Amino acid sequence: MTVRVLLFGPEASKAGRDHVIVQLVADRTCGAVKAAVTRSCEPIAESVGAARIALNGKFADDEQIVSDGDEVAVIGMVSGG
Amino acid sequence: MMIDVQILDGPLDPRTLERVGIDAGAVGARVMFEGIVREVEDGRPLVALDYSAYEPMAHNQLKDLAAEIGHAHGLGGVTVRHSRGRVRVGEVSFLLVALAPHRKEALRAMDEFIDRMKRDVPIWKTAVFADGGNA
Repeated sequence: MTVRVLLFGPEASKAGRDHVIVQLVADRTCGAVKAAVTRSCEPIAESVGAARIALNGKFADDEQIVSDGDEVAVIGMVSGG
Repeated sequence: MMIDVQILDGPLDPRTLERVGIDAGAVGARVMFEGIVREVEDGRPLVALDYSAYEPMAHNQLKDLAAEIGHAHGLGGVTVRHSRGRVRVGEVSFLLVALAPHRKEALRAMDEFIDRMKRDVPIWKTAVFADGGNA
């Protein structure tokens, strides 16, 4: 399954783009998304490990399954206020 | 409980919220916090902060947080405004108004809300430094 993963804030700046495309094969969990982003985008490999994944606008656990059509985003360290 | 959340372009005007809760009979405490862009960040002179948000998640997270903390502290209302885009030094980028029967609940709720927002709401700022750099 091909997944478009949105990037924001420091991750988008470091990666130089606002999304990455990753492939999930057997493991379709959010944890697998993080691992795939880490492999495919070296500039953010370190920070993605500590980031959270949002599925359809809600924070998701690493065990949650990604389905076709889900909006997937990496949420790194936030800094509002 | 009244909850009002907006993410708005550019700097915020605190005067737009000065009447919030004034006519609510059960309100004994009205606390307003204004977040202002400081002139120095990490020891470097600053020109502005550029805010970006993942919307609508940021808006929904702010609304859910207001509801959760509002109920936990027995508030009568929570009003939130956050900037997106550029906010210059000395301008306001965040406003929070808490209405409560008594001051202690309102003050505790304000503190908790801001702590949680800085952890769980997908909003980011980029510093624009006077020397031309950013971070």
